[in-house]
Amino acid sequence: MGRYALRRLLQAVPVVVGTTLLIYWMMWALPGDPFAGRCGERACPQDYIEAMNAQFMLDQPLLVQYSAYMANLVQFDFGVTYNMVPVSTLIAQALPVTLRLALIALAVEAVVGIVAGVIAGLRRNGYFDTLVFVSTLVALSVPIFVIARFAQWGLGVNLGWISPTVSNEATWAELLVPGAVIATTTTAVLARLARTTIAENLRADYVRTAIAKGLPRSRVIGVHVLRNSLIPLITLLGLDLGSLMVGAVVTEGIFNINGLGGLVYNHILRLDSTVVVPVATLFVLIYIFANLVVDLFYGVLDPRIRYE
Amino acid sequence: MSEPASLTSSAGEAPRGLWDDAWDELKRRPIFWISAGLILVFILMAAFPQLFTRVDPRWADLSLSMEPPSSEHWFGTDRQGRDVYARTVYGARASIVVGLTATVLTTVLGGLLGMIAAYRGGWVDILISRGGEILLGLPFVLGAIIILSTFAGAQSDAGPATIMMLVIATLTALSWPMVARIARSAVYAVKSADYVNAARVLGAGPMRILFRHLLPNALAPIVVYGSLLIATFVSAEATLSFLGVGLRPPVISWGVAISESGDFIRQAFYLTLFPTIFLCATVLAFVLLGDAVRDALDPKLR
Repeated sequence: MGRYALRRLLQAVPVVVGTTLLIYWMMWALPGDPFAGRCGERACPQDYIEAMNAQFMLDQPLLVQYSAYMANLVQFDFGVTYNMVPVSTLIAQALPVTLRLALIALAVEAVVGIVAGVIAGLRRNGYFDTLVFVSTLVALSVPIFVIARFAQWGLGVNLGWISPTVSNEATWAELLVPGAVIATTTTAVLARLARTTIAENLRADYVRTAIAKGLPRSRVIGVHVLRNSLIPLITLLGLDLGSLMVGAVVTEGIFNINGLGGLVYNHILRLDSTVVVPVATLFVLIYIFANLVVDLFYGVLDPRIRYE
Repeated sequence: MSEPASLTSSAGEAPRGLWDDAWDELKRRPIFWISAGLILVFILMAAFPQLFTRVDPRWADLSLSMEPPSSEHWFGTDRQGRDVYARTVYGARASIVVGLTATVLTTVLGGLLGMIAAYRGGWVDILISRGGEILLGLPFVLGAIIILSTFAGAQSDAGPATIMMLVIATLTALSWPMVARIARSAVYAVKSADYVNAARVLGAGPMRILFRHLLPNALAPIVVYGSLLIATFVSAEATLSFLGVGLRPPVISWGVAISESGDFIRQAFYLTLFPTIFLCATVLAFVLLGDAVRDALDPKLR
């Protein structure tokens, strides 16, 4: 298992390099002068430009910039922004917020999605099944930004149950509704997946055997069916952890949450690659790591799976 | 991924093939007809908006600013005094054009690259597969924002067609690797099958083998994925337009309309409501169609 994990990590290296290079290149290709408007209503003095060039190597070819940048990044030196704020400070401020948001979303997805899907799968074509089917359809058809807008307007402005925007502290309670909003799509997908997987596994031979040898229904479903149905669900949840950081761009913007998504979005608009590249690298690393953890988790759930 | 492919390979050559079965299955489902009907209405709306309204969506009368819905203006008027109903009807074009074109481009490009990767193997495979992984590693919304601000910023005076092309190209660039992966695994499963070898021995060229013998195996999973992709793209276009990096005026789009009306949501809720309903109905129609197509084409569910 250790060797498998190591091999997977090594395979990830070219993907990380490629993705970051791509992001770096596109940020570099962003039209616009990074010095424009930086020195008030006049052109920047020559020595300022020279100092900035020396600091950020803006006059160097792309590959030179990139390799120097990555060399620092590998040593956990995230550099400074054009405003000389250390990027690590910005990330340290934003990361806990996004993490809280992602955990809330993940919890909602796991609990609501799996419970609804499992019950629907166990009682196919029943009243609850139809309810789940209709609500997943609605959840899949309404884009996240629309849900966020309506939640903000309905719950926040109209009813006054929540504050329409999240404060700087971004407490768990404040993030509850935004987290649930982010979770809607994956909750629906998860519920549907759980439903079909459960229904499929209920027809499996080993379930018939378990019933035939007289096991109580609770044990057949709780141990045999559920455990075998969990694998695709865990896969989906793990992969979603990576994209939770992404759905965050939209929702964080609407609820004014100062997380990673908002951070990266604001700095793309400001042409500031010093923030965009490290945060995007972080996203890619989280995504790859989540994939790896999911793959390693298979072995725990299903002893038939061996890594070698 | 390989199971459906191997099953279709045996069904594809039979007199009653997978596609006939799928069509029979589809015909019997009311949901398919409902979604197809809805989609037809939206396509008509996109192609001939004049059928639905005679009002010019760009005609602004400031004395009519922010009128609530009335018999004159069914959906009310916006801040510039433009008819919201006309603007909502004309907004269908952006969503439908972007959704359908991006889906066709994504499936064709991804399908071709995936099939070539599986068929040629070696360094071509490595290049296409790794290149795809790099793009998939890029978070979708983030990648789209970066690409669109890179290329769209350069053309701030771009016309509607250019802006739409940019959004379509961005969605395609970020989504083809998924299709390529599906096509690759479908082709990989049957690449060394006897019937493919037989075709090669009989002197069939790579083109003929690819399109006559390998493509039919990859087609069903690609069509299933593609039919679900349309809804995603319609929704993604609206999201990007809402964020201000996708479509933008002068293009009339539901995403732009929802974004613009957000500031007046307390005074004029209808400004947000109607484009939202149309957007959600379109996505819903494509989700239903995708579901129906998947159920009909996926032999596992039979």
